Amino acid sequence: MIQKLLRITTVLALIALVGGLGRADVLRADDDGKRPPQTLQSGFESTDRLLRDVERAEKAPLYSAWIVESSRFMNVPFGGFQPDKAGLNTTVNLPVNVGIIEGPDHKLTLYDSGWKQLAYIFDWNTSCCWKGIRDQLTAIGHDPSKVTRIVLGHAHWDHAGQLSEFPNAVVYIQKEELKQIDFFLHYPVDFNAGHIRAVNTVDPLTGAQVGPPEQACARTPVCGYPPQTVQEILGKVLSGKAKIVDGRHEIAPGLVIHPAFRGHTYGSQLLQVNTARGQLVFGSDTYSSWTGIRDWLVANIQQTDTIQQFLAYEKCYVLTSRLNSFNNCVAAHEPTAYTSAYPLTANWWNIPQGNCSRAAELILAPGKTTHVPGNPDRVLCVNTTPPAHVIRP
Amino acid sequence: MSRASVLLQLWMTPKTIVLSLLVLGLVGVLSFATMRELGRATTPAPVAPEPARPTRPALTAAEEAFIKAMTPIHAEVQRSLMRASLGQILYKTNDLSSTELKTRMTQALATYGRAETGLRALEPPGSLVRDHERYVTAVRLLQESAVEALKMFKDGKDDHLLAAYPKSQEASDLIREVGGKFWPNEFPPN
Repeated sequence: MIQKLLRITTVLALIALVGGLGRADVLRADDDGKRPPQTLQSGFESTDRLLRDVERAEKAPLYSAWIVESSRFMNVPFGGFQPDKAGLNTTVNLPVNVGIIEGPDHKLTLYDSGWKQLAYIFDWNTSCCWKGIRDQLTAIGHDPSKVTRIVLGHAHWDHAGQLSEFPNAVVYIQKEELKQIDFFLHYPVDFNAGHIRAVNTVDPLTGAQVGPPEQACARTPVCGYPPQTVQEILGKVLSGKAKIVDGRHEIAPGLVIHPAFRGHTYGSQLLQVNTARGQLVFGSDTYSSWTGIRDWLVANIQQTDTIQQFLAYEKCYVLTSRLNSFNNCVAAHEPTAYTSAYPLTANWWNIPQGNCSRAAELILAPGKTTHVPGNPDRVLCVNTTPPAHVIRP
Repeated sequence: MSRASVLLQLWMTPKTIVLSLLVLGLVGVLSFATMRELGRATTPAPVAPEPARPTRPALTAAEEAFIKAMTPIHAEVQRSLMRASLGQILYKTNDLSSTELKTRMTQALATYGRAETGLRALEPPGSLVRDHERYVTAVRLLQESAVEALKMFKDGKDDHLLAAYPKSQEASDLIREVGGKFWPNEFPPN
């Protein structure tokens, strides 16, 4: 009897092992000869190469890092954000986080630049807490004039706004990001009677534009890019303040861009930052949800190839494998951000005169003084009072 | 042989061993899952009461009809502006030829012209006259910007693109302002 059981168990274990290896072979980026299917060469990085980036970064200077909440989407249908975890008819509030990275030379790099579409606050009215990023930087003890670089995780309007607020900063964006918008502007309307368009998708029956959750526009690849956002990128290109990169790019020792093509948009990119708590990896919307990375669930999948999102999660696992693992992946819209449930962001506070927007100190370089106030205000608030700004409501 | 060792021998049959291992395994899995869930439990931040949000006023029938009539014009303007902007970017990165850029800018200028004609043919309700004027201003700015940009194909100087930029940027700001009011769901959360 025991021998029979042992035989069955051995066979089952072998099947599980072979199955496990098979799955790993599909998702793991082991070496150049095993590039996952449908992955662009310029977006591919083998595990070995990523680990070499970790080794190199560990010899580089240490950076300090914070995030601030540019704004907050209120009452978003949960299913549209993280379908595997959403209950029926539940909603969620989503922060829109911007990374602030300070180097040994005290210059600042922003990861994403928040949003500028203030009309949403007044006319659509489903968001709160917007505050101009220059004011936010000042309020948490940084000098906005020290911002010399802006790395765009992707160029959607809620992440690539306010570029013109930093005329001297150099913007880093992937060429794939620009090429995909251009490509899908030519979306053919010949076969669908014209109601599905690259921009301005309309209801096929009424001809009217419709909003969430019924809207379809968010699923077309161009929908997240208003002309205003692309214009701001153009301004950077024309003034010689843009670096159009193609794949991996080392900005400075310990500060490395990693491609995450189709991890959210076609030209999404991550930012590896060398810190005293190991490598931080900022992921913009490719890392929309930190619990998604932790639990291996997709999130914010509008234009996402979900396999590529998982591969981007794996890049974070590899880059953070020496210290803190997934706890060092920095998410853009994690609902639990600014609470102890997302430990990296637990040291948070309400930005003074920040219209309820929040900041969190992620890690300091040795010798750096904290920016967290002595008695931090940590009462979560929602402020619907329109902030003062140049645009008329 | 003691009574205890006899009992142990009786109990340790292959069946009971396998059963015990299964039970132990299940208990282990349950304990791990419970610990993991408990580990995730956290103290939520105190929450200030959320004030009632003001609602957007409903449009009148006249306003709605006007906005609907503007929608196709707006769609064409936005698409042309995007193609022109990206055309310039891709030209600067050597991913688009000068000839292709010229075609795009010429097409954009024609679209803006048609848009202005279409907009002027519309009669906005009193409440939207100001927004209508702002949109017309934006389209005028886009035409001026395109005319300036097209000069580069006459004298070969890229500087015209830089000179053309402030007007197209101002126009895109105006369009987004009016667009946010007329088509509030146009660019949903991403």
